[in-house]
This record gives sequence, structure tokens and C-alpha cells, in this order.
Amino acid sequence: MAIATLDVAVVDELVAICGEDHVFTGRSALFNRARVPAPFPAHRWAEHIPQAVVLPTSAEQISEVVKLANRRGIPVVPRAGATGLTDGAVPFRHGILVDVKLMNRILEIDHEDRTVTVQPGINMLKLNEELRRHGYIYPDDPASYPCSLVGGRIGTSGWSLIGGRYGHTRDLVISFEIVLPTGEIIRVGDGGGRKTRKSSSGYQLKHLFMGHQGTLGIVTEATLELVPRPEAEFSAFFAYPSYLDGWKATGDFARSGLATLAGVVLFDEEKVRYLRRDDEAYIPQPDWVRTVVAVAMYGQADEVRAGARQLMRISKANGSHYLGDEISHGDWASRHDRYATPQHGRARSGQVALMSWHCEDAAIAYSKLPEVRERWHRIVDGLCERFDAFDDWGMFAYTNGAYKPWGDYLTEIDVGIWESKWDDEMWAAWVDAKREIARVAIESGGSISACHGSCREGEVDLVPMELGGGFDVMKKIKRALDPGNIMNPGKYLLDQAYELDADTTSREEE
Amino acid sequence: MAESTGSETTSATGNGNGAPEAKVVEEWLHAAYNCFSSGHKFCREVCPVMQVTRDERHTPTAFHANVVAMEKGLLSIEDVAEDYVHCTMCGACELRCPNTLFTGDFYRFRQRTISVVKAMRALAAEKGIHQKNWQRWAELTNRWGNEPVLGWNTETGASKVRAWAVGLDIPTGGETVLFADCEAAFNRPSVPRAVALLLQAGGIEFGLMSQQWCCGGPMWETGYVDVAHAMAEHNLLDWRKTGTKRIICPDPHDYITIIEHYPELDEGFDEFEIVLALDLIAELIRDGKIELTTPVDRTVTYHDPCRLNKRMGVWQAPREILRAIPGLTFVDVDHVTQWSYCSGAGSNLFVEKPALTAEISRRRLGKVSELEGGVDTLVSACPWSERPLTEEGKAAGIEVFDIFELVAEAAGFEV
Repeated sequence: MAIATLDVAVVDELVAICGEDHVFTGRSALFNRARVPAPFPAHRWAEHIPQAVVLPTSAEQISEVVKLANRRGIPVVPRAGATGLTDGAVPFRHGILVDVKLMNRILEIDHEDRTVTVQPGINMLKLNEELRRHGYIYPDDPASYPCSLVGGRIGTSGWSLIGGRYGHTRDLVISFEIVLPTGEIIRVGDGGGRKTRKSSSGYQLKHLFMGHQGTLGIVTEATLELVPRPEAEFSAFFAYPSYLDGWKATGDFARSGLATLAGVVLFDEEKVRYLRRDDEAYIPQPDWVRTVVAVAMYGQADEVRAGARQLMRISKANGSHYLGDEISHGDWASRHDRYATPQHGRARSGQVALMSWHCEDAAIAYSKLPEVRERWHRIVDGLCERFDAFDDWGMFAYTNGAYKPWGDYLTEIDVGIWESKWDDEMWAAWVDAKREIARVAIESGGSISACHGSCREGEVDLVPMELGGGFDVMKKIKRALDPGNIMNPGKYLLDQAYELDADTTSREEE
Repeated sequence: MAESTGSETTSATGNGNGAPEAKVVEEWLHAAYNCFSSGHKFCREVCPVMQVTRDERHTPTAFHANVVAMEKGLLSIEDVAEDYVHCTMCGACELRCPNTLFTGDFYRFRQRTISVVKAMRALAAEKGIHQKNWQRWAELTNRWGNEPVLGWNTETGASKVRAWAVGLDIPTGGETVLFADCEAAFNRPSVPRAVALLLQAGGIEFGLMSQQWCCGGPMWETGYVDVAHAMAEHNLLDWRKTGTKRIICPDPHDYITIIEHYPELDEGFDEFEIVLALDLIAELIRDGKIELTTPVDRTVTYHDPCRLNKRMGVWQAPREILRAIPGLTFVDVDHVTQWSYCSGAGSNLFVEKPALTAEISRRRLGKVSELEGGVDTLVSACPWSERPLTEEGKAAGIEVFDIFELVAEAAGFEV
């Protein structure tokens, strides 16, 4: 397979900017930076490779690379951990891939004003290894906690498992420096202060430059919250005979008003069935257990102790069945490790089949969860009936609000995909199903995505439907900030921004 | 096993039909797809190489994805051979893999990145894609019988491999032999001397091989499988010649090579008992057969050698030994935290990429400097790690010792 190579003069310029050791055009460098964990048709791997990779070490280098890309009209694709699930880091249009992993230093720990300033290539687990020595934690805790990087968390506006207590990425990032699509380096936050948590000065740009999936720039530095390391953790798992019982209990816990409550997780009946496929992946439970709810609290020992007592009182009142200390401690402690195991895939015959994990997520109001659950499972059942290459791995619902864990829920359905069986027909059916899953989320008054982003094939078609006039504003912003459409093109239907411009121009000419 | 490509399959080498490549891909595709399809990448931040280079080509994820890409004709061994140099075979990635953690027992599966790297390095060598220094290292090992640990121009022949034992009055052969690895025998003779003195003090009767060659481990690790086989077959023959049944290994690299690879070559291997010196010395101390009475006035921390801690789960014995040394203040760092630590010496990375090894060691010493309590000494239990750690320790003001050197001192010996 031939790769469309960049003009040698462009490569020379990249070398002049980043240094010879930080520019790669070899095949393995390119192919190993084309993928993210979400399955894309592996037989179409070659369609998504970059033409050159740079590993810059400073904002200035990134700025120069972006300016070069503008001069030459070459796409630029930012890549941090590349653990996202919506193709943000996949180079749809090839071009120059800017991999920020070498920028992984801690620049400052401010004990007085409680901030830590880092480069975008640092991972949260590694950051916390350092912060632990000082008695702090940076509590951004996604499933990808051991491998995702701060830059990508900002690029996707990530969600944290313990966000009910500590907030999510957008709440934990105070300000950051970003290279705009035209190469200027700016800092955005609440107002202009690097360490200001709340400001009413000017437009609130921080949110605009989060969750754009790399279409509005490349983050080069971020100032984050430093939180006192919690003295105590309380986790508890409860069982229920039906989904509705578990759903009711979830609501009770989430609305309790306990300040230490960090999150509530609802496992539906299909999820529990999936986890039971082997006795190692889940501590075995009696047959009557159909639904599980997990609860976690963090804080100072005195407040967690009191909160836990109150929570256990609520559980007694609503008929929850405590599953014991072993699962409560062990399963919570291993929460990051269990989100997908290919071996759990099953063909229709029951035979083990190595399957890729795909997770469709949405933000859904509590009151709509039972209805959405039924409709989503029906969509996936339809896929499974048509093709022996899909497998319903069940659903989770997680509290989604920051600091106040009631209201809406990060709702996900996990689907096993027997990727090696795939052909274009199955891919098309999958894309249709994703679109339908997104449609249900919108029709229920929710959002297509609570944490991954919504720019993959399928769901992205409905982004204009979800955002309405907001999508037109998105296009205007994109067009204004990235006149050459060089920053991660092909994402979020934003090519339309330039079609719009062409239409307008042609009308004016007439 | 991929490791057993070597001499039997050399007929396919150089015929240009891609057969060796197809064979490796076929063997590892299923395992590679397990990694490819889950895409966790939890291995990445514990990998000592990735922590330094931050290059996705050097991740266990890439090492598996390349196999999938090769199957699809997107990449070839020529494209990726150099990437596979970037691995110390420490095993952290295998431990940190959710596929290993949560499907091992039930499905009888574990992610075996080290074996994939070995297979790809062997494939590269077989296809004539050589890393210059590894190739030279293999040639000299083959010629001299031991690795060229003293430099390209200083012979490390079998006639000199017992030089460290001068004056210790150790016989040749016997039921039990002490197997001193190349690095310690030539470069850090105080280690085998310490072990020999301790064994003698503990009442263990042992000899030395009539002619010891390299265990072959680095040859298996860098892809020179036929040289590895020659080394192993010689050693097995030598043991049988002298009626040896028990082999004591002070070096974790020797130990793991012999227990993992020798049985593949020899159906009668069960007649041998391979003993890790660390376990034996710990037992002798525990049983009061070695008395530690001389105080060692140091504040130490312990470096868990990768092949002991991550590859074989041996982390208790060295801690037990250190706690038995009088006068010693031991500041421990738990063995799970040390999954992400490494000296950078493993699988001959230092031969091809000395700067990378040095940086990994420098960062390991940095972890020592961060400890509270005035740690002045880093103790390891692996002679290969001690070379780069000692070098970087000089800059950090931290002395580096082998655990047996300290135990010998505590037992009143001068080594």
C-alpha cells in the first residue's frame, strides 16, 4: 500500500522546527498513530494514516507546525493518549499528526493557591503518583485513567467516575494554553487569570475550547485543581431482583444530598448477565440478582463515616441487598480494568469469539432511563439477529452531574463486535444502529454523548438535530478560527462551514 | 513456540518468499488481536521504555498491532524490526494488561508481549535484518562461549570464566554447581564470590562447571536463537558429564532462561533442579545456618529486579534478607509500585541503545533520591541492572550494591 508522501520540502521544514529526532515518516510510525480503541473497520486501516508525525516539545514548535500547515494547506491532527472513543485522534484526511506525548512535564505545584500546572502529555495516574507525595490528588478518573492524557481529556471534555464529588474535566481544568488553528498561542480560562476559578470578564472561552475533538486547536499547557487527598473511601455494591428496583434505588442514593457522594453506577440486567459469563470477571452472585448498583464516597474520614451510615440507612429503607465487603472493595478498586475483555465475546452459538468493545454513550435524564434502556437494547438485538458478529454486553448508567450527582446520567450500551468477520455491509448496519441509538437519546431530551464526543460516523449525522441553531454557530466559529480548515478536518460535519461560505459567496457574486 | 524457530527453520531463510514472516504472524495473530481489539493501552505508562521515549512505536500495543498489520499486508518486518529493540522484557506490560488480569484463569489466556518481541526479533535476524551491535555481541558470544561484557576486544572465554573463584577452593562438578552469569563473572566478581562464601558458610557443597558457557538468555532475547541453542546444549552436556543435578543461579536472567527455555530443548530436563540463590540464601539465614552478625551501617532501599518481581513473582525473599541484616535501615518501596521501575539493562537494550538504558537508570535513581529517610544505598539482586544503576548512582550520590555483597559483609566476609 503506497502512502501519499508529503513534499520533501515540508518534511525539511518540520525537521527545522521540531528537530530531526522528532519527525517521523516511516511506515510503522504512521500506522501506529492511525488508531484509537474504538473499532473502525480494520480492513480500512490504511485510509486513516497520517503522512508525517511530529513529537514537539514546546508550544512554539506546535505553533510553527500549524503555521506551516496553513501556508501549505495540509491538515493537522492533534493526538494525546489516543484512547478516545470517537475518532478525535484519527487522521481522517492524513496530513501532519502532532503527537504531544513528549510534553509530559509537571511545570509547577502551587501549594498556596492549590494548582498544578502541567504539559498536555502527562497521564493522570503518573501525575497522581507525584502529587501523592504532597498529599494531593487530581481527581479526574475516567475508565482510561491509567492511560489517557490531560491534553485529550481537554480535547474531549472528559467525564470522571467520581465527578459527583469532584467535578469533571471541565471543572478540574482551571485554565489552559492553546495553539489556535492559525498558529497563535492564547490562554483561556475563566477570565484572564491563570489560576482564577470564577470570572465574569468577557466571553467564557474555556468551555468553547474543550470537547472540540481537536478541531479548534492544540492544548500545550494546563493549570489544574489540586484537591486534598481524601482520607477515606467508602464503596458499596448492592443487588436487586430487577432493573426497576435497581433504578429506583439509584435515584434514592443520587438524590440523598450527601456531599461526599462521588458517584452511583447502575448495572442493568444484560450487563450482569454479561459479567457472569466467566466467574473470574465478576464475583458470583445468587441467581436472583439481576441488577447491581455501586456507590462510592470520598472525603475526610469523619464526613465519609457519617455519610456512609446515612447511605446504608437509605439502602435498608429501599430494599437494597448489600453484596458484602469483598465485592464492594475489590470491584471498585479494579473499576478501570474491567471495562472490556475481548474474550467475553460470544457468537450466537455461545462459542467464545474475540470481540472488540464498542461503547455508545449518551446523557439521559433519570426519569427516561428505563425507556431508553428498552429502546437501545431493541436496536442492538436487531443487529444481533441480522449478523452473527454483534453481541449485547449490557448497559451502565452513571451519575453525570458535577458536585450534585442527581438529574442526568452518563448512559452507555456496550456492544461486542466480531471485527474480523466484518465486511462493508456489517459496517453500514453498525453505523445505522449508532445513528438510531443517538436518535433515541435526542428524542428522550438528552444528549448524544456525555463523555466520548459525538463525531463518529453515524451519530455525527444527528449533531445538527441535537444542537439546532447552535450547530450553525459552531460552523461560524470554526470558519472564523480556522479559515483554511486545516485543524483536524473531517470531524463533526464541520466541512459544511466552508460549503456555507462558498454558497454565501456565490450568492453575493450573483 | 516462536522461540524455537532457529536452526530447524533456517532453510526458509533468504528464499524471499516471506514464509518465516507468515509463520510468526500465524502463530501470534490470535494473541495480537486480543490486544488490538481491546485497545486498553494500560501497559503504556508502566513501560520503562515508553516512559522515556513517549513514542507509540515502542508500546506493547504497537508490538501487537504490527502483527495484525503484517497479516493485512500493511507492514512488514523490515518496517518494524528496529521498533522491537525498544523493550527490556521487564514484563510490566503483561502484568498491567486487563486481558491478563481478568481472563487468565478462565480462558487460559495471558498477553505474552515478551514472547511476541522475542519472535519478532528472531524473525528479523532470520530475515537478515540485524542490529549491528546485537549481531556483533552474538558473534562474539558464539566465538568465546561467554558474552563480551568487557568490551569488543577483551576476550571472555571459557578458560577465564572461573577467574572470580580464585582462592575459594571450589571443586569442579558434583551434584550441585554454582552457575555464575557472564556479567557478574567478568564484570562484578564480588557477586559470585559473595554467593560462594555464603554457600560455603551455610554448609552447602557445590562445585563449578568444568566449562561454563553463557546461559543463552540474551541470544534468545535478541533473536539469535541458534547461538542460544548452542550455549544451552553445551551447558546441559556439561552438567550431565559431571553428574550434576542441581544448579544454583545467583542471576535472575540465568534462572529464568534456564527454566523457560531449556526444557524446550531437552526432554530429560526434569532431572535437573534449578535453584534461585536468593531463595536458598534466605532459607539458610532463616534456618540460622548463615549468621549475620556484622552490622552494616547503611540506609538502603531495594530495587526489585524485573525478572524476579515482574516475571517470577519473587519479591519477598530479598526483603526478608535485608531485614535480617543488623545495622541496616531499610526503606522499602512496595513491589507493585516497582512494576513501573526498571534499570533499562534487560534484553541487551544497553548494547544497542546505551543512552536509553542510562536514562531509565537515571530515573530509577531519581526515585531513590525522592525517598525520605536519607537513603544512601540502592540494593539490587541482578548483576545486569547493577552496571547502569552504579553508573547513574555516581551522579546521584547513591551507592549501588548487590544484595549478596551486603549479606556477605554482614556475615563477616570481605569480597
